[in-house]
Amino acid sequence: MSAKGDMCYAWTKDAGIKGECGGAVTSLLKYMLENKIVDMVLTVKKGVDLYDPQPAFITDPAELVSTAGSLHCGTLLLPKLIKKYLNGAKDMKVAVTVKGCDAKAMYELAKRNQINMDNVVMIGLNCGGSVTPFMARKMIAEKYGVDPDCVFKEEIDKGQFIIEYTDAEGKHQHKGISIDELEEEGLGRRLNCQRCETKIPRQADIACGNWGVFGEKAGKATFVEICSEKGAMIFDGAVKSGIIETCAPEAKGLEIRGKIENVMVKMGKKNQKKQFEALGEGSEKLAMIMKETSRCIKCYSCIENCPICYCVECSTKKPHLVRPGIIPPDFMFQMIRFAHIADSCINCGQCQELCPMDIPNSLFMHAQQVELEKMFGHTPGVDMELPVLAFAEEADERARLNATGSDMIYENVFGEEK
Amino acid sequence: MKISQTLHFRALYYKIYFQFRCSKYNKLNTQYFPIVVNPPQIIKKRTSEDTLIYSANRILIIRGLSMEIKYVTTTCPYCGTGCSFNLVVKDGKIIDAQPCQRSPVNEGKLCPKGVYGFEFINSPDRLTTPLIKKDGKQVPATWDEALALIAENFGKYKPEEIAVISSARCCNEDNYAMQKFARVVLKTPNVDHCARLCHAPTVAGLNMVFGSGASTNSFMDLANCGLAFIIGSNNFEAHPLAARRIMQAKKKGAKVIVCDPRLTPTAKQADLHIQHYPGTDIQLLNCLMKYIIENDWVDHEFVDNRTNGYEELKACVTQDKYNFENTSKICGVPVEKLQLALQWLHENQHKTAFVHCLGITQHTVGVDNVRSIAFIQTILGNIGKPGCGVNALRGQNNVQGACDMGALPNVYAGYLSVNNPEAVKKVADYWGVTDLPSGKLGLHIPEMLETLEHEPEKLKCLYLLGENPIMSDPNSKGVEKAMGNCEFLVVQDIFETETTKYANVVLPGSCYAEEDGTQTNAERRVQRFRKAQDAPGEAKLDWEIMKMIATKMGYGDKFAWETSEDVFNEMRKITPQYAGITYAKLEGDGIQWPCPTEDHPGTPILHISSFAGMPDGKAKLQAIEHRDPAEVVDAEYPFWLTTGATIWHWPSGSMTRRCAQLDRDCPTAWLEMNKKDAEKLGIADGEKVLLSSRRGEVAVAARVMEDIKEGVFFMPFHFIEARANLVTNTAYDPVSRTPEYKVCAVKVTKQEA
Repeated sequence: MSAKGDMCYAWTKDAGIKGECGGAVTSLLKYMLENKIVDMVLTVKKGVDLYDPQPAFITDPAELVSTAGSLHCGTLLLPKLIKKYLNGAKDMKVAVTVKGCDAKAMYELAKRNQINMDNVVMIGLNCGGSVTPFMARKMIAEKYGVDPDCVFKEEIDKGQFIIEYTDAEGKHQHKGISIDELEEEGLGRRLNCQRCETKIPRQADIACGNWGVFGEKAGKATFVEICSEKGAMIFDGAVKSGIIETCAPEAKGLEIRGKIENVMVKMGKKNQKKQFEALGEGSEKLAMIMKETSRCIKCYSCIENCPICYCVECSTKKPHLVRPGIIPPDFMFQMIRFAHIADSCINCGQCQELCPMDIPNSLFMHAQQVELEKMFGHTPGVDMELPVLAFAEEADERARLNATGSDMIYENVFGEEK
Repeated sequence: MKISQTLHFRALYYKIYFQFRCSKYNKLNTQYFPIVVNPPQIIKKRTSEDTLIYSANRILIIRGLSMEIKYVTTTCPYCGTGCSFNLVVKDGKIIDAQPCQRSPVNEGKLCPKGVYGFEFINSPDRLTTPLIKKDGKQVPATWDEALALIAENFGKYKPEEIAVISSARCCNEDNYAMQKFARVVLKTPNVDHCARLCHAPTVAGLNMVFGSGASTNSFMDLANCGLAFIIGSNNFEAHPLAARRIMQAKKKGAKVIVCDPRLTPTAKQADLHIQHYPGTDIQLLNCLMKYIIENDWVDHEFVDNRTNGYEELKACVTQDKYNFENTSKICGVPVEKLQLALQWLHENQHKTAFVHCLGITQHTVGVDNVRSIAFIQTILGNIGKPGCGVNALRGQNNVQGACDMGALPNVYAGYLSVNNPEAVKKVADYWGVTDLPSGKLGLHIPEMLETLEHEPEKLKCLYLLGENPIMSDPNSKGVEKAMGNCEFLVVQDIFETETTKYANVVLPGSCYAEEDGTQTNAERRVQRFRKAQDAPGEAKLDWEIMKMIATKMGYGDKFAWETSEDVFNEMRKITPQYAGITYAKLEGDGIQWPCPTEDHPGTPILHISSFAGMPDGKAKLQAIEHRDPAEVVDAEYPFWLTTGATIWHWPSGSMTRRCAQLDRDCPTAWLEMNKKDAEKLGIADGEKVLLSSRRGEVAVAARVMEDIKEGVFFMPFHFIEARANLVTNTAYDPVSRTPEYKVCAVKVTKQEA
């Protein structure tokens, strides 16, 4: 019987599955769907080419085979789709593949009653970061000097973005460039990925990847870490059913995996410092935020895609707060977003990636979130702890503030106890 | 089977049957699974919810999830930027739109219409059956009835008595089919579409100068320029994802100049805002050209090798009247601003992109406005290079395509002229006809409406696709009269509109999400529409309807298409710019025409080494003098009125006013008025006033602000209850026939309390 924290190497015994590294993830999904442990698998598949990841809502196990593999252009976030299209998994069971940001988003939506996590099985995927399709193609054409349509495989490994392609003579070629070098030039991963510290998504039920697969199984097995009881039960069931086989991990592999994670987390912290410092301080920072957001065209992509946003009647749509029909909208629009989201921002980057005016929304929000985390000690996306801005009974709170006899709200709420 | 087994079986059947009947629809529970005997085989689905499994001796109904959710990638039906997004389809119905990060045009990003503009698709207002006018009332009818009536009536009229208006909202296949229908079945030369109302001057103007009427560069050139000279374009609202490219250039240090009488959201991002009077663009451009020439900043190598007519242009613009002082007076712009614009043009030679839209084209001098832009870029040598060019932001999603398909009175598909005997023979042979209308230009839309209004004995029958002239054409009252005069009017649309009310027959067409097809954006990129759901009720694909009518009239063999791809493949053989494009090649990035052969990758930048469409490969420069608009302000009508669109709505509002999230931000019209003018008139912000012109009058609420030039009003035109086009002028450009929506003279009076 497995338990939380157990680790092993796992690989598929299903001849039909060709995994990226062992095929354990696809096998687990297939096992769950075939045995009706879940009604649907929500994962990502290749669309028109490997630069086009699209969500796949799968009910037929046979379709899972085509979702095997990894797509580093997979910048999309899945949990909100469960809220929007699967009724929050309230009357169905779903298995979903999650990056770190997806797993954190799941928790935030669950806290706000938008997803029933008891009905969700999360298969976590190690993630070193994703690259937008446009950036990937641009990078490959300009920096690698390769026709992006000739690339048939891409990956991030050992700090490099590596492509495999067929050259003009039809021969297979490899080319890798260090991520650091790419990112020095403004290429490479999304900015929020560069700041991210959640590389191994232990918020999921089972965390899988290829870091730490060392020795004779290298490239042929998936590293599996059990992260919950639900995960343990499912994994054991899968092993018992014979769809996957396991063996103990090599000690050296464990060491490597730990090292990689540490390096990436350190890199994330370093990038946070670098990117946040560039924002400046005080009124300088505010002026910069106001200037950048002056390009806003009120498309609502940030709100529609944010996993923290869920209100049916968004405050930004209330005419007494934000005048309708004007672009750029009153700065109050942005203030409402900052006020309501900043304590729980999980740095998923959707608001910035999807902003038609390239406003660095995620950068601003994440910068505020880290400050709020220092002040209130709340880390979003890791468990069901309610956010700082959890609902308070307004009447009671107003009465309490009134009773202080003072109008200095900040002091009353945040000040030292007298 | 033994009796006991039969009884057992029946009992089980009924037990499960009643279980199913009593349970909530669409609720499923994985723990309901009865024991499955091996091997189970699926033999029949009772409902979409249940899966019936048969095995050796039992039929078991198993609750199963057969929900289907898929993403269909398609392109946007609104503006000419041509963004892609995914339509989310649940069990065959579109429920949402999601980003498509793969698109090279918009990279997953969307404007408000992209995010919410799908909401109209499943509106209960959708036309689902043909309607026929009987005893003054429009009643539902069968397709057979409708087709019979149409065939009978279309056959009654002479070719010159019939006109066809195609639609820039519909795909290339629909437009190709429509112009073929008009020319082959109705044998009329009178084919036009709404490009007439917007960028016909671009097509005509650039054609006269460069030999090709389309934008010369691509959106990525806007991101890579050193100076973006935006004139007559509020791209932040009208083409947001193209505006993004300009903002990307700005971030890299490019300068942005915006010429507009209003301080639009676009102008607010400018480094230099030239707030000139409407209709003074030639004065402005000639002035800049004067000093470019006199300072010898001309690219002489380019001019000498690649143009004709420089001396004529020079003689004209170097006249005194185009100096800074006079220009400053006429345009109402301080001299310093003109000088700064000139300096930046010089500093950014060979990396300046001009961007224009309807602020340039919707004038009686629209063609000349466009040509002036082409001239200034030519003498600077800013053509045929990255980060340069004349970038016309085409309005409708497929107005470029509709023009390419020849839904115009002077050309066939691929811009083959109806006056060119060789072209006529080529098309006639290809279609297998001998009586192709040719040699005479057909009526343009303004002429069609004028004739119907004033000389209805000359034009009696109109077949109109996806257009609402009562809302979108100027002089709305006149258009109502024209529609009323039309003896036999057929309107094919997706909703009932102000125009369908006048129709003898209304035909229910399909919208962009219900068809496969292609459309062409402002940078000549051909992209796909992909079918996401079936059209509602008995609505059909637009080209399919034309095929049905043609068949009824005996021309079925000329419209023998089974799929949209068939139409496309027929079209590309006669359209040189599309010859090398196939549906298979369009997966991924789409292709920018010209694409002459199947191994050609497409053409992002035109005119790199030669102006291929000109007889000697050289651009044609000429003298163009500034002229006043058709109607200028005077004592009786002392204010300029300019009209335009907003980011929330699409022209006639039939689609976007049915999208709750868009309508909420912009529910009705307003009249933008400068604070100083409002003070003089004694009008308060929000006060309802009467706006009137020589054409008519409209009541509208005033919006008092500082962002509009003193002496100028602005009104959006999407709203039937406050129709801006009741007051606009029908005067049009003599070459392109595009109405002067952007300038007319008005007065404002306070309404009685």
